[in-house]
Amino acid sequence: MQNAKDTFYTMLQGRLAILNPSRTRVLRGVVRPATLVDENELPTAWIPLDAFRLQWTRLQVTSDSPLPLFEMECSIQYATDGSSGNGGMDRGRLLAAMDAELATALAAEPHTVAKMNYATAGAGVAPTAMGTNVFWADPVFGAASTVGERMERTATVQVFANQEAGEL
Amino acid sequence: MSDLSVAAARTADVLLRALGGRTVMLRTPASAVPADVTEQLGIATPLFQDLPLAPVAYRKARATVTEGKAAKWEMLVSATTVEGLVGSLAYASASVLFAAAYGVLCGGELLEIVSATQEQVFGRPYVYRLILRAPLAQGV
Repeated sequence: MQNAKDTFYTMLQGRLAILNPSRTRVLRGVVRPATLVDENELPTAWIPLDAFRLQWTRLQVTSDSPLPLFEMECSIQYATDGSSGNGGMDRGRLLAAMDAELATALAAEPHTVAKMNYATAGAGVAPTAMGTNVFWADPVFGAASTVGERMERTATVQVFANQEAGEL
Repeated sequence: MSDLSVAAARTADVLLRALGGRTVMLRTPASAVPADVTEQLGIATPLFQDLPLAPVAYRKARATVTEGKAAKWEMLVSATTVEGLVGSLAYASASVLFAAAYGVLCGGELLEIVSATQEQVFGRPYVYRLILRAPLAQGV
């Protein structure tokens, strides 16, 4: 299951970075694409803006097959205050741009990617390809909400993967 | 730099020392490793270093009276100390330093930084004000 989560995240981060290379964030002195998994970051009270934050919420396991099927719900949250140079008046446009980027990244073919094992990966060391794939459904976009000058939205996407023998 | 702004910073330092002049530790993670995906996947964790902040004075701004709401602390930090850390560690600004920090270690308890603001005179900060939140698990 963890391999599927890692694989989906790296796939989505890569596709979003190709669509908009300028959407980056600085994390501890290093510039990275502005896509992150909440549970993998240091707990903080700051909410990163203009970034896609992934949270893994629901989980369902169907075990009536030799390879149990995991159905996971990935909640993708993103928010913007608009740009300060425009007085925040472009926050609706920036949110729409993030909507489009996310929808395009998840709609792009193929809707599947080979599952990778990142446990042995590191700087300059590639992950190991596994025998099955990770695949996903179309995203469902929730209503945009406004908190003060901030606009935010949550999209959910169902991610599927088989648990291979020996995989935890 | 105005003499008045320097005087304000020194006065703030004196007042903070008179109010107890505590020393706390600012816990900051080491720099991220470029091109290492494992840090983004929660496999590799950064090293931490504790930087002393002194003199500081703090008080409890909100007691834990409601379930699910953590106690909050208000901390005043010497701008002289913060400027020294920002300069020696090559942070772009104090706000970047506090944004990058993992929390403030006060008497064995790690408090999360909710916000960091500054008070200025003639364009120079003389004291920083941190709002800190206690972990819910330690709320009593």
